[in-house]
Amino acid sequence: MVLNEREQGLPDFVREHDIDNVTLDIIENALKNIRYEMDRVLVTTAVSPIIREQADEFPLIADRQGRMVVGQFGSPVDTVLENSPYKVEDLKDGDVIATNDPYMMEGSTSHLPDILLVRPIFYEGDHVGYALQWGNLMDVGGKTAGSIPIDARSIYEEGVRMPPVKLYDGGKLNEEVLRFFCHNSRTPRETRADIMAIAAGTAAGAQRVKDICDRFGKETYLEACDALLNRTRTSIINLMRQLIPEGERFEFEDYTDDDGLGNGPIKLKLAMWREGDTLHLDWTGTDAQVPGPVNFLLNHRMFQMFAGVFLISAVDPTILFNDGYSDVIKVHIPEGSVLRPKDPAPLSNRLVVMARLFDVLGAVYAKAIGFNVSGSYGTSPNFVYSGVKPDGEPFQTMEILYGGIPAIPGKDGLDGHSWWPEFLAVPAEYMETYYPMIVEEYTARRDSCGAGQFRGGCGIRKVYRFISDGRITYQDDRAHTYPYGVAGGRPGAPSKKTLIRKSGETVELPSKVSDVPVFEGDRLVFETAGAGGVGDPLERDPEAVAKDVRWGLVSREAAESEYGVVLGEDGSVDAAATQSRREEIRASRPEPPAFDHGDLPPLAEQRRIIAETRRKFNEWLSHELGTARANGRG
Amino acid sequence: MGYNVAVDVGGTFTDVLLFEERSGRLIEGKVLSTPDDPSRGVVEGIESVCKKLGVSFEDLNLFFHGTTVVTNMILTNTGSRVGLLTTKGHEQILLLARAWTPGPLYGWMSLVKPDPPADPTDTVGINERIGPDGGVLVPLDEEEVREAVKSLVERGVESLAIGFLNSYVNPAHERRTREIVRELYPDLSVSISSDIGQEYGEYERTLTTVVNTAVQPRTMLYMKNFEKSVRERRFGGALSIVRSDGGAMSTQAVAERPIQIALSGPSGGVTGAAYLAREIGVKNILTFDMGGTSTDVSLCLNGETPVRRDIQLGYFQFKSPAVDVHSVGAGGGSIAFVSASGALQVGPASAGADPGPAAYGRGGEEPTVTDANVVLHRIPPGVALGGTLQMDEEAARRAVGKVAERLGMGIEEAAEAILEIVNENMHAALRVVSVERGHDPREFGLVAFGGAGPMHANALGRLIRSRSVIVPPTPGVMSAFGFLSSDIQNEFPETYLRIAEETPASELKKTVERLIAQANEWLDGEGVEEDEKRFDLYADCRYYLQNIQIPCRFELDELSGEDSTFLRERFEEAHRQRYNFELPDSPLEIATVRVVGRGTIKGVSLVASEDGAGTDASEAVLRTEKVYFGGEWLKTPIYERSRLRPGHAVGGPAVVVQDDTTTVIEPGYRGAVDRFGNILIEEA
Repeated sequence: MVLNEREQGLPDFVREHDIDNVTLDIIENALKNIRYEMDRVLVTTAVSPIIREQADEFPLIADRQGRMVVGQFGSPVDTVLENSPYKVEDLKDGDVIATNDPYMMEGSTSHLPDILLVRPIFYEGDHVGYALQWGNLMDVGGKTAGSIPIDARSIYEEGVRMPPVKLYDGGKLNEEVLRFFCHNSRTPRETRADIMAIAAGTAAGAQRVKDICDRFGKETYLEACDALLNRTRTSIINLMRQLIPEGERFEFEDYTDDDGLGNGPIKLKLAMWREGDTLHLDWTGTDAQVPGPVNFLLNHRMFQMFAGVFLISAVDPTILFNDGYSDVIKVHIPEGSVLRPKDPAPLSNRLVVMARLFDVLGAVYAKAIGFNVSGSYGTSPNFVYSGVKPDGEPFQTMEILYGGIPAIPGKDGLDGHSWWPEFLAVPAEYMETYYPMIVEEYTARRDSCGAGQFRGGCGIRKVYRFISDGRITYQDDRAHTYPYGVAGGRPGAPSKKTLIRKSGETVELPSKVSDVPVFEGDRLVFETAGAGGVGDPLERDPEAVAKDVRWGLVSREAAESEYGVVLGEDGSVDAAATQSRREEIRASRPEPPAFDHGDLPPLAEQRRIIAETRRKFNEWLSHELGTARANGRG
Repeated sequence: MGYNVAVDVGGTFTDVLLFEERSGRLIEGKVLSTPDDPSRGVVEGIESVCKKLGVSFEDLNLFFHGTTVVTNMILTNTGSRVGLLTTKGHEQILLLARAWTPGPLYGWMSLVKPDPPADPTDTVGINERIGPDGGVLVPLDEEEVREAVKSLVERGVESLAIGFLNSYVNPAHERRTREIVRELYPDLSVSISSDIGQEYGEYERTLTTVVNTAVQPRTMLYMKNFEKSVRERRFGGALSIVRSDGGAMSTQAVAERPIQIALSGPSGGVTGAAYLAREIGVKNILTFDMGGTSTDVSLCLNGETPVRRDIQLGYFQFKSPAVDVHSVGAGGGSIAFVSASGALQVGPASAGADPGPAAYGRGGEEPTVTDANVVLHRIPPGVALGGTLQMDEEAARRAVGKVAERLGMGIEEAAEAILEIVNENMHAALRVVSVERGHDPREFGLVAFGGAGPMHANALGRLIRSRSVIVPPTPGVMSAFGFLSSDIQNEFPETYLRIAEETPASELKKTVERLIAQANEWLDGEGVEEDEKRFDLYADCRYYLQNIQIPCRFELDELSGEDSTFLRERFEEAHRQRYNFELPDSPLEIATVRVVGRGTIKGVSLVASEDGAGTDASEAVLRTEKVYFGGEWLKTPIYERSRLRPGHAVGGPAVVVQDDTTTVIEPGYRGAVDRFGNILIEEA
């Protein structure tokens, strides 16, 4: 990995700052508010459900050098400029650079549907920073509706790649480039509207930075940016010193199911250690890149940010996230691994590896810090249904579904909630109004929650009935592996998909499929994974178990087998029977592991099952496609 | 000739405001609230004010009541036990909610989610299904309904909510189910979701219905007892309850839709400020209501109270029209602290009323905004809050000293820093409702009220650069004042979801006329006379598939022509102002059509007095004190508000004291008393 020059010495902002503390605090607050405003502008004006109903977008303000002062993802400004024909000196007020190319961005956008807009901010002719915003577009072309094919073998199959181009030049919209880009999308109108909305978000951010300069003066604002970077850097160093013992190495590994082409499971392995004021995070031991599109091109600064955000969220959420600590968290990602694949490896379905990355990072921290150990999250797949309505109008949905939230010590996980901040489920009434489907069922999935003193959240069970012929594509995971439990907690249930044809024929589908033909009257039973539990299930309050049974989240059988809780006819706890049942279980069971990954076959056997599942599915799919064509419904 | 009265029940005090029609006088009263039975405090409060004037209940014509009875039931989950009937397959609708967890990354760790307001055990899915176009996909299984209701009632359910999918398009199944319930249990309280909201979004509609049902029985009882106790005292006038959207309605209407009064109290301040602004000829205002734990701000264009379509109470967000205020956790009780990174922060944690700020001398030790004001003498020594509570300056200094030490500052310097930070938080809130929505605050007056509002108003006016700052004569009872100025009001919305370009205006007209008829019928039920009725028509529009709804107002006679594109210009102007872009190729979607029916009643009218006192306000000076401004102690006159008269001018620095609040005028500013007794603060 190439290190930037400034990462070798002390960053230039580490010095005394000529700004009084109160002004600094005021500017910090104002910057935080800018981020929320950018969010609001985009979420209210965008048109695709994934942004407007689910809020999949991220804003950021960077300083003159392109370092993130406030935001969540770490700033890629330097990379964007390096890979563009533009130099900082060429930029002017009203410019907006747009790109969706992950390889040119070193992973700052990690698949093609994510577009990034970078707007330089000028105050009275002087360059003072950047406003950035990411947004998830509904479709950018490629071989499958939604641009997340599960069987792409290179990024060229995944959609149109836009290198950094000026979407606006001095305030003038580059209509030609926008038209060209949107023309490659199956949803040109939505794509255009969403890009305009993202641009409006960056404009709002830029305007607010100008307002701060108006109020405090440009020099004070720039000094404040430096001081805020420095303040966060100092805070992170203090947190690390306090929390992470020096000289010890903490490691954890877990698996993603497969790459959608029959290769898997795929190992992610992370080691962490502290050396003085430097925290090392090393992905050595992670599996090599895979042929299918689950490769997650991980931007090193984004990962530094995730690592810092975890510490901040767990300990002192009042600390501002920014690039101030990028020199004290050193990240190593092996070239050619599933986290640093080589161009043109396919990337579209990176979400499943990203989800595992958060599990692994959380577990490593849990080992190092020893608190807030959570179980593993369920799954949060995308789901796309596309086709042509009976009236001839083409349609395409895009929805994110949610699984169980993990348990943490002291608290059960939430059922069917979003791991991602501020995301929402799409109302059935919205989907049904705009798209030819009926949501027949949407419930928490009984017994999918990992048992524990604090149980994991249940996954969801959603049943769609299709009204038009069309195709479905989704990207899930955890069908072959389990979301782990911790400290005696049990893993959550794997995900599951069942297609029920109108004829009654039932087919179990793998966790990732693209372009499966569906017909009017077919049903899809979509079940996401539950989350892992924390602590010994035999220590769970029997009344809490009784309540879970009453609420339909845990069956009576599981109450007895997993928790040793025996319920009477009326659903109340039978205390005596419970006590003896619990003693029985205690006497007969083995010592629970620190991390319970579930009852898995040996690795070689898992590989064989995964390959076999895919092979059988492919056979079935080509048969289905053939039949559909023969029936004139292909 | 007689009197109108408004009563606002708060957590600690019940405020009473009496309007004397003959003289135009406003008479204030305050009694302690009686949480066990709030109506007792109301009656006592009125009696005490009546006694001052030697009048009785018989002399009262109009009676406006703002109540937190519903708010409290929702927040403390003490409504009745509700059973819920849903569409089969969607029984866990309230448990799954909308899957929301807070930001940032890992924010889910901190989310504490309350149990659903209808226990999942008391929820039954019914075999029935309406499609998105209103067609019946699965007929209603009436036998199943009967069995479900019987078993729920046997289990102890006290009221019933019915929320079926797509009922907002076709309510037939919900209505039939209600009939069945009424046949079986005529006395059981029942709500159906299509009555509560004709808008898409099954979770929000169901939640709103369930909460409405939960609070219904106790609200009905409260209204009945309350009405009885005032009628027993021979009150013969019209009794109105204040709604969350600032309108008013009868107790009977409340009994049907108690959810509509969930934010009854806070709406009054904005309505009152908007009314005041209209009367004194300042059409566009920002309102700034700063209390003990939070500050509410809003923006009123053309003197109209802004209304939004949902309300947030604790974790839950409901669909119900409410005055559009933006709240921020900043108030007199907000606690200042220094974070791990060394940043000074104020709030949102609050010392509340108990123990309260350190200066209250009730054992509070954390430094609060009030303590900073006491340290700096913005609350001058010797002034008693509410006329009774003496400030403990030493305790305030000790508390602020803790922060000062960590910041390496002097105590006064730290106190001033605390004020700057809390002002900044409130400034950000004012920006949300103004700048972020494309409005220039320099064109707005800032009306300040609430216990702490006038103390910070000058600073906020300076920060947001408002045209002027207006401190009304009775800033402590602004809500009650607003109640007096409210109209009988209700809104009738319907989800429309049609493209303007493809919708003949004549079809839109049919829908509007139907809604007007509903509104008209409701107003008749409220006893509103024909010539007092008014109907405001709105089409809430967006570009096709967007998430916003921008209200576009129109008149009935505009509805002619082959399409409804006349709305487009109105929509795009607002969209441009707010977001700086348009989408000329995108179709315009009419998401909701809305009719607001109003019946004008005149509960109050302002009477201007003659100027004539001259500008010299020295007769109102109580004494001088040293007060800390901008890093130094300045000799500052302290004025008594009740002695200030129209025409008087007060140069800053100055502090004006009255029973329930303190107005600060900064150096370089000047306060002028207008003909209605308001203090207008502007740059000198």
